[in-house]
Amino acid sequence: MAPASPAHKPRKRKRHVRSYSLMLPSKPFPLASFLHPLRTSAKQRLVIPTLLIVAFIFRWAVTYGPYSGEHTPPMYGDFEAQRHWMEITIHLPMAQWYWYDLTWWGLDYPPLTAYHSWLCGKIGSLISPDWFALDASCGHESYNNRVFMRATVAVSDYLIYIPAIVIFSKWYSRTTGTDRYDRSIALAILLAMPCLIIIDYGHFQYNSVMLGLAVLAFANFLADRLLWGSLMFVMSLCFKQMALYYAPAVFAYLLGLCVSFGRRAGGEGSGNGGGGSGLVITIPGPIRIDLQTLVLLGVTVLSTFAVMVAPFAVLHGEEHGALEQLAQMVHRVFPFARGLWEDKVANFWCATNIVVKYREMLARETLQKVSLALTLLAILPPCALLFLRPKKALLPWGVAGCAWGFFLFSFQVHEKSVLLPMVAMTLVVAGGVDRDLLSWIGWANNVAMFSMWPLLRREGLGLQYTVLTGLWSWLLSLHELPSSIFAKALHVGFYIGALALHVAEITVKGGIVERLPDVWVVGNVVLCFVAFAWLYVWVLYRMADEAGLVEDVYAVMGKAKEEGERERLKKVE
Amino acid sequence: MEAEHPTFTECLVLATALKLLLIPAYRSTDFEVHRNWLAITHSLPTSKWYIEDTSEWTLDYPPFFAVFEWFLSQFARLFDPGMLVVKNLNYASPQTIYFQRLSVIVSELVLILSLRRFVAIQATPQSKKVAHIIALSLLLSPAFLIIDHIHFQYNGMMFGILIFSLTDALTDNLLRSGVLFAVLLCFKHIYLYIAPAYFAYLLRRYCLGRTLLDIQLANCIKLGGAIVSIFGIAFGYFAAIGQIPQLLTRLFPFSRGLCHAYWAPNAWALYAFADRVLIIVAPRLGLPIDSASLGSATRGLVGDTSFAVLPNIPPRATFVLTLAVQLVCLAKVFLQPSPMRFVGAVTLCGFASFMFGWHVHEKAILLPLVPFSLLALQDRRYLGAFRPLAVAGHISLFPLVFKAAEFPIKSAYTILWVMVFFMTFDTVVPVAKSQRIFFLDRFEIVYMTVGVPLILYTELFHFAIFGSKLEFLPLMFTSSYCALGILGSFLGFFTLYLTS
Repeated sequence: MAPASPAHKPRKRKRHVRSYSLMLPSKPFPLASFLHPLRTSAKQRLVIPTLLIVAFIFRWAVTYGPYSGEHTPPMYGDFEAQRHWMEITIHLPMAQWYWYDLTWWGLDYPPLTAYHSWLCGKIGSLISPDWFALDASCGHESYNNRVFMRATVAVSDYLIYIPAIVIFSKWYSRTTGTDRYDRSIALAILLAMPCLIIIDYGHFQYNSVMLGLAVLAFANFLADRLLWGSLMFVMSLCFKQMALYYAPAVFAYLLGLCVSFGRRAGGEGSGNGGGGSGLVITIPGPIRIDLQTLVLLGVTVLSTFAVMVAPFAVLHGEEHGALEQLAQMVHRVFPFARGLWEDKVANFWCATNIVVKYREMLARETLQKVSLALTLLAILPPCALLFLRPKKALLPWGVAGCAWGFFLFSFQVHEKSVLLPMVAMTLVVAGGVDRDLLSWIGWANNVAMFSMWPLLRREGLGLQYTVLTGLWSWLLSLHELPSSIFAKALHVGFYIGALALHVAEITVKGGIVERLPDVWVVGNVVLCFVAFAWLYVWVLYRMADEAGLVEDVYAVMGKAKEEGERERLKKVE
Repeated sequence: MEAEHPTFTECLVLATALKLLLIPAYRSTDFEVHRNWLAITHSLPTSKWYIEDTSEWTLDYPPFFAVFEWFLSQFARLFDPGMLVVKNLNYASPQTIYFQRLSVIVSELVLILSLRRFVAIQATPQSKKVAHIIALSLLLSPAFLIIDHIHFQYNGMMFGILIFSLTDALTDNLLRSGVLFAVLLCFKHIYLYIAPAYFAYLLRRYCLGRTLLDIQLANCIKLGGAIVSIFGIAFGYFAAIGQIPQLLTRLFPFSRGLCHAYWAPNAWALYAFADRVLIIVAPRLGLPIDSASLGSATRGLVGDTSFAVLPNIPPRATFVLTLAVQLVCLAKVFLQPSPMRFVGAVTLCGFASFMFGWHVHEKAILLPLVPFSLLALQDRRYLGAFRPLAVAGHISLFPLVFKAAEFPIKSAYTILWVMVFFMTFDTVVPVAKSQRIFFLDRFEIVYMTVGVPLILYTELFHFAIFGSKLEFLPLMFTSSYCALGILGSFLGFFTLYLTS
């Protein structure tokens, strides 16, 4: 642990680490039971291969389901978008990538996605050029192409996301002092996360690349490799702009490491992942700034960005200038002209829209401003906490809180964006699992799955949804609820609501459905919004707890009580 | 009893989740075969069951299986009546797929219960632990996953009945064991291959007393009566309407060739491989080549196989060979009957028929594989003989599921199974009581190291190098490789069986 700073005592790990290995064979949850034979040190080396193969088998089994837009001309879906990007990137000069026929799934992801598409397209063309023939292959659907595309997802996942969570769980459990058996359980939980599996392997997307790069960044931060971490994080941003949900928290964390306040200036230690110790500026007053690290971080971030976008500026072609190319990229990547939300998504705007019709009341610009303000307000607490106390153990919590803030209040949110807070939140299991944490994280993933149900149902992924959710709930024994009465009520209430909506959707025909065709989707949105909002609050609470704030409050109250008691005793004497 | 982790139920839930996800995966023509049988048994009177031939996939399983299909069809009606129309060839609505896949998953309950019983009959905690691992290895076997849940068949249920019968034999519940086996024969006649072992053992242990002349008349009558009445129930009706000859032509189609399209990895595959090699070598040795049959073993579907250099094999030769091998092990079990030796005899009968039988399917590898699993953890020597079979047997099933999308699943699952269970077997298997057999364990290591590059070649590189040319080449390599492993396993186990 860090050398104790005078301001606050080292955190006691009395509640968060409890090893299930000691409890066996009394009553573990099934996931722990599966890993039980591998807990001895002789078999530890089998843990990772076994988990990765099992995870692969289930991931691949999901690919037998339909993908987004399968057999649905004229526009098809996300699968066609990704395939089309492979098609245009391998055939067209870079100058046209962000301009070519924008009505048919024009490229609207940042450059790293384009490079990734180029690579996949090149490899695919070696196998069969028809899959990616320019223009002729629009809406191409064939058995082998489907297998190839699914395989690119799996390979990308296993090259980036899965190594990332393995490395992350190693570093995070090292930070928090989690034992090996619990670490393998945590890895298994991360591998079993149903929402990421079903979106990448069922619906078809490459979220695991973006998330994997982000998780790699976090792992590097934990390992005190701040520059590598920021490089990874920028790459994550350059793969998919959604990684912006994490950005403020990451920024706050890094800034917090560079800026320290007088009273704990000397106490920088490994617990804080301190950067270099070269140039330090001491501003009159209690603030010290580690200028060297700050500048290096800035240079890393900017140069990574520059390297990513430079090819577009250099190879700008004859029609457009370099700046115009970059402007077009930004314009494509951030479509501000779109509405407050797409489809139905369980965030603040869509859920409260039932009562207050924002879009009728306010102009789009005003709405954008309001949503920006609310988002900033929501991400302020986690970011401020990370800035003031940039402890390693707090990192995933802060990132999760920040991502929740974005998901709940920002502009233009997709239902799939819930993956960001969900992955960040699930990462915390690497810091030791207890029943409460397990129930909350398990429940959160179930809520996320349920919130994506309208999308999954449309795409015909009902079987995969049911099996993965069921398996997840069973693996973590989610029938065991958290200890607090309120949480119990919340979890049970949600499950009852979700089941009722599922049953109603199947059984009720006519009547209310004819008048309000979206009634079940709206019900879904409202239910999930309540759950998500509460998860945001829960993350903040757990983060504060982890930071020692809750303990401090109790300590202050406890001390007051103690003093009162002492005085009373004195009087008695 | 102290619970083992993971428990049987936990593995069952995990495996079932995977099987559910595999519902939309590739399915072979056997899916249509069974759909057609659902339709036949549901919509036609019993007297037409074995006559109907609208589809080329006529009913060719014994009557109990037909009744089982009729039973299933009662539920199929609720899913989609369309699948029950005989004329709806290749009908595969989503409801049909769900229903048929689920019927396999549910009927596997028989296997699950039989495995639980196999664990329950063990006397000591140590043997319970070993049996638990064997039960898990069978429950999670890639063989059942590939054949039943991807390719589509009902082997789980069939082998469930067999294991029930074997556990009864292990607990000396011989009458019930015999009855169950008779029932099994009326479900699927492939088990006739192992019937000799049952015959010899039941005759010796149940019908005869301490000496060969000490005939237990009461037992004879009980067993004989029971078996006759079971066959009576199954075939009586068809005998009454004079359809037995028709039934027999359906059940035993002798017009097929020595080897299946893809050679099952048995002695004949090695023979055919040698023949192919000789075609190249023969001109230099001055051997005559039968040019008419050059392409037959590489092209033909379910046609006749003829050899170019080596002499052709008549069906009679395969029977003589099979019976000769079986007789040796029957003599042993007859002279020194013991429950474990009986299971060994069943295994060897399965082995013999697989190795030397006429027109053997690769799926028949289950016949030796399943009973051998029950014996594999006797001691290290048995495990040594078992491992090549476990590897080769599973790999030999790969060509059944040949589509690209299933390659990752079948190989990852098999690798996982081999890795986890070989590791676990090693930790629980007792040390051998007597000397190891020199050859076997060396063979095993070399054999398994060769396997990995071979699979990579046959499944990936061949396609990359040759495209769709020379399609028979990877199949030939796979079957020859597997045949070698199974042969090694067979010889190893045969020696152990005869010397123990």
